[in-house]
Amino acid sequence: MNNWIDGNEGVYVAGIGLHPYQFPSETPYTHLGLTAVRGALADAGLTWPQVQSAYVGTTSIGMAAGRVMFRHLGSTGLAVAQVENASASGSFAFRQACMEISHGIKDVVLAVGVDKHGDGRRAANKDGIERLSDTATIPAVKFALMARNYLRERGAGMESMARVAVKNHGNAARNPYAQFRKPRTLEQVLASPKVAGDLTVQQCCPRGEGAAAVILVSGHALKRLGLDPRRCVRVRASAATSERDEKVYGQGPIELVRESSQLALEQAGIGADRLDLLELHDAFSVEELLYSEAVGVCAQGEGASYLERGDSQIGGRCAINASGGLIGMGHPLGPTGIGQIAEITRQIRGEAEGRQHPGARWGMAHMIGLGSVAIAHVLSAANA
Amino acid sequence: MRPRHPSLYRLAADGRSLDLLFAQCPNCQGLSFPANAPGCMHCGDPLVQVQPIARPGRGTLLEYVTLHVALAPGLPTPSIAGDIRIAEQVVEEGVIAVEDESALHPGMAMMAIAVPLPSGDVFDCRFIPEEASQ
Repeated sequence: MNNWIDGNEGVYVAGIGLHPYQFPSETPYTHLGLTAVRGALADAGLTWPQVQSAYVGTTSIGMAAGRVMFRHLGSTGLAVAQVENASASGSFAFRQACMEISHGIKDVVLAVGVDKHGDGRRAANKDGIERLSDTATIPAVKFALMARNYLRERGAGMESMARVAVKNHGNAARNPYAQFRKPRTLEQVLASPKVAGDLTVQQCCPRGEGAAAVILVSGHALKRLGLDPRRCVRVRASAATSERDEKVYGQGPIELVRESSQLALEQAGIGADRLDLLELHDAFSVEELLYSEAVGVCAQGEGASYLERGDSQIGGRCAINASGGLIGMGHPLGPTGIGQIAEITRQIRGEAEGRQHPGARWGMAHMIGLGSVAIAHVLSAANA
Repeated sequence: MRPRHPSLYRLAADGRSLDLLFAQCPNCQGLSFPANAPGCMHCGDPLVQVQPIARPGRGTLLEYVTLHVALAPGLPTPSIAGDIRIAEQVVEEGVIAVEDESALHPGMAMMAIAVPLPSGDVFDCRFIPEEASQ
């Protein structure tokens, strides 16, 4: 087989559901997750007993969250597994579901991401190795250094980064599932309090919680269950990598995004210029500028001008983070990657009311985890 | 006084600067930091029975930022963090002890010094521009 993801007559997203991303609250994670799962089932027109297997992406809830949550849907005996990979947890849960379907193990699989804001415990803090700086494993510092290096190397002004936040807060304002629902001006973004280096708080993703779920079916099941193929979005590629030794200072995360996205595009058999949608890890504004170049939707060095020209706006050449991205929609970790898939599905269906990118047929969901693991999925209209 | 992180550094003979503790790989000769790393960061050698090597805490400043909020418990703000190349192919984030960023520029030589913590009996590693130490 040339492309493993085409096995079992292909992998399709048949249903999507979300619980809005929100600031940390007392809401139990079961409520968040079940809202998303029930939404995805209803959207697909399927019932819980038809789901044969489930993957749960989460970082901070604890052991075996899936079964605790799913018993409220009925104890059907389905396979349940939990996936943790930092910010990319949901994306990797989705990839596991894709593999299970494409390899013919199951035909109807749930991938759900659900999270509560945790205590920030990381494996890197438990490896028995002391560090010279107490912030050595904190992403905000790493990305602030990336931002400073970007501004210095490119001779760019802080407005270039801030425009990412303006665009993404604007998109989020039109997304009912987003954590932030207010448009922000360039002046507001620049004037908001600084967090680290040149990054102001409105250029950083918020802490939060929420849930996102998708129901995946095989092409075989799509026909057998009588689902509407016009509302089913096909998964064309799934590629994952991790970081390599950095040859040039500051290039590690960029090369990580470049390699994983190029693998996915190659698997899908398209060039980056075919992408109508790109959801990517904009936890910090500078990332979108650098990663849009790394994915290849614009040329090297053109990230800021691509944005400034409006090419990455909804209605532009490739809508980047039409959902609002991590900065605007939010970044509850476990759900984030699956929320990206839900956004691309909604856009390709033409159902993104209020923020629809015209003619959306191909999209990429790209996520990184702690700057060290990467994953890319390419999706398209079923008949693309 | 004793070091806050004894696996990373020790007081040098001058009583002020610090030596950083590395492991030298018996296979590829590359340096890993710190010395108790469970594998060579360059070739994966398990570094069994490798003795720590103390090298003067010198390095090249690659990039730096001011931290405006306490991103770690007890972090004083503002403070300055920077990436410093402390050996070939070894870049570590360090705490930089200068008044503000105006004293810094990428590529400048840095040195590690011991700075007493408020408790008085422990010192930690801070980096300063080498030119300022003279």
